[in-house]
Amino acid sequence: MSGQRLIPVPSGLVHPAGVSRRGFLGGAAVGVGGALATDMRGVQGLRAEEIAGELRRGEKHVILLWLAGGASQLETWDPKPGAKTGGPFAAIPTNVSGIQVSELLPKLAQRMHLTAVIRSLNTKIADHGGGADLMERGRPDDPGLRYPDLGAVVAKELGRLESTVPDYVSLYTSTEGRRKGTSGFLGARYAPLFLAENMAPPNTGLHERLTAAEHQDRAALRDLLSKRFTAEHRGSTVGSLNSAYQRVQGMMASAGLFNIEQEPAEVRARYGPTQFGEQCLIARRLVEAGVPFVKVARAWWDSHGQNFETHLELCADLDHCMSVLLDDLQQRGLLEKTLVITLGEFGRTPGINASLGRDHFASAWSCSLSGMGIRGGVVHGATDAEGQTVKDGEASAADLFATILQAVGIDHTHEYMVGSRPTPLADFGSQPIRSVLV
Amino acid sequence: MGVNDEPVAGMSAETTPAASENSAAVSVPFAPSKVSIDRTVRLPSMTFCLARHAQSGRVFCGGADFGLHSFDPAAEKPETKPLSEVRHSSYVTGVVNAGGTLISGGYDRSLIWWNAETGEQLRKVEGAHDRWIRSLAVSPDGQRLATVADDMRTKIWDTVSGACLLTLEGYDLQTPQGFPSMLYAVCFSADGRRLATGNRTGKVLIRDAGTGEIQQTIEAPVMYTWDPKARRHSIGGIRSLAFSGDGSLLAVGGMGQVGNIDHLEGKSRIEVFRLPTGERVHEIEDSKYKGLVEKLQFSENQKWLLAAGGDNGGFLSAWSLESGKLLAQEKLGNHLHAFEMLSDRTLVTVGHDQASLVTLSAG
Repeated sequence: MSGQRLIPVPSGLVHPAGVSRRGFLGGAAVGVGGALATDMRGVQGLRAEEIAGELRRGEKHVILLWLAGGASQLETWDPKPGAKTGGPFAAIPTNVSGIQVSELLPKLAQRMHLTAVIRSLNTKIADHGGGADLMERGRPDDPGLRYPDLGAVVAKELGRLESTVPDYVSLYTSTEGRRKGTSGFLGARYAPLFLAENMAPPNTGLHERLTAAEHQDRAALRDLLSKRFTAEHRGSTVGSLNSAYQRVQGMMASAGLFNIEQEPAEVRARYGPTQFGEQCLIARRLVEAGVPFVKVARAWWDSHGQNFETHLELCADLDHCMSVLLDDLQQRGLLEKTLVITLGEFGRTPGINASLGRDHFASAWSCSLSGMGIRGGVVHGATDAEGQTVKDGEASAADLFATILQAVGIDHTHEYMVGSRPTPLADFGSQPIRSVLV
Repeated sequence: MGVNDEPVAGMSAETTPAASENSAAVSVPFAPSKVSIDRTVRLPSMTFCLARHAQSGRVFCGGADFGLHSFDPAAEKPETKPLSEVRHSSYVTGVVNAGGTLISGGYDRSLIWWNAETGEQLRKVEGAHDRWIRSLAVSPDGQRLATVADDMRTKIWDTVSGACLLTLEGYDLQTPQGFPSMLYAVCFSADGRRLATGNRTGKVLIRDAGTGEIQQTIEAPVMYTWDPKARRHSIGGIRSLAFSGDGSLLAVGGMGQVGNIDHLEGKSRIEVFRLPTGERVHEIEDSKYKGLVEKLQFSENQKWLLAAGGDNGGFLSAWSLESGKLLAQEKLGNHLHAFEMLSDRTLVTVGHDQASLVTLSAG
């Protein structure tokens, strides 16, 4: 929330499913700064169908593979072989008749039936900061109002009340273009667990002088004293503290999810030796444990010089790791519950500069959606012969945001009330891209 | 320096056109102090390679339009013309003159033999390598062609029959960080007995060109430019190699460490090694011009070294091999990918979309 004025979420905040979050909590306290308490005591007051709905939330996940710096659509999803702008790479057929992708994605080409490609993004903003803001939030910020990013919205809408795992995990270990993400007006409760320096949350281990049994005993004693206190001193502060404590305990309990050493060696070998591969494996472990939203940022695709060398290097990493991730999710029955996205802040210019680079370009670029809610083997939209403009099916950042929400069963038209201001989950006027949705 | 001052007999560009891809030497022992651009020629696309065809007097070049084009460097206003309607199916990255026959190779993994006069395609070897062909070099006698590619193999071909004589390995397919490696550069020694190759991570292999046996390994790791923290990829690699005429020195070109690998912002870098000891006798980093050193050539007297390359802009620089100091330098339009000597003091360079006819002069 750095530098932003926090706008508390009002107590009348309406959940898109029609269940008031406060009502859902059965009167449990709403945390400070707009954070909504996750207190199990509230569940006891729910009707059975509300409980069922709440439990279903934990069954949907999003993994965002953030191609930081801006990958080239011509070297990935929208090749133009033979065009003056096409570069040296060939297009290759996929396992879906009529769809071709760059030869740099041979493994993903054989998984095209799982993936929809949008080739017609026109998002207009071609600077890193502005482009990332737009693509992460689906709209530009308004004066005085900072919107939550996709991860925060998904965390709020799909996070489970009783979950002990984090709702939103963001891995960004490279330093260039590093972005923490923002929960905007949703408040700190939906801010990401942000991992930058290491691939596991720090300070989650027990103190060296404390055994696990002693840790549990302490928690039980604290819980007992807390209940006694709450019975005699009702108030939101106690509930909020309980919530915070519960989440810390959850964080400590889930720290092992970040330890890929716990995976069989064969599985780790499949993901490969690169850091991106390791982080994709962590993402799979997290969604398997119930985390609704995981962002894995792979930096840095900003290929102003030597674009083709850069994409030879980075596409090989993307192609392999994402293919293994899709296979792994599918084999575990998770892909039908998990949406996997490749997206960055923009694409790259069709024109090739004297350093054999491509520069920033937001007028006609691509992204991909695979898995939950997605009609695989589909291409939406088209660009012209040289990739300079969108000629069919133009889509905005807001349209993409709405599409992603719809794919995981979130009604993008529902509104948050921010003060007295109704604010739809996706920007006003956005239209989901129906052709890529099941 | 211990560098042999004696010229290498018979090695002028005029008398040994087939040697133009490797270390053909400048015959007059002078040290240039000035680089002058005489004329420029607009090229039809980004251009990566060229070969002088002494038999016709034309220069042939290949690039991003997948084809070969030629122009007459002696013409007052040189104009390009395509060699043939037949083209490669991706960028052309190497062309050599093997006894009058042109041989080209490219990212489509194929080699094509051409009649330089008629444009007739004489032979095509599809799948000459399994990945992008990066560079071609022809032996001084014009009998053997060496190719390097991203399958990390070096192949030696008979330029007459087209037969592959040797397939040589010795490089890892992946970098230490697990990313695809690349094999960029190759050159013959002036006597044709040795072959040097250089890869992305800065490893040079010197081989017996007849047997393929590895004689020496030299490391120039700075040229890898791997960024382990900010951007987690690399942009550099060894892009050029040249033996001195007597084979006592090997020059290696690339780019120095770079803070921002989004751009070719590292200092252009040359390392010179004494053979066979492997002693590094010079580390030259250009304080003025940045980017990759794409082409190197020793002077015949081995007193100086000519280097070309660039970032967005191109440069041509002459460096003293005695002092390691700059003798002459000029900015030449866009990024330069290659040059060839036309005479002892004139040369032609090719870059992004332009060729330049250049004169070196003293005083």
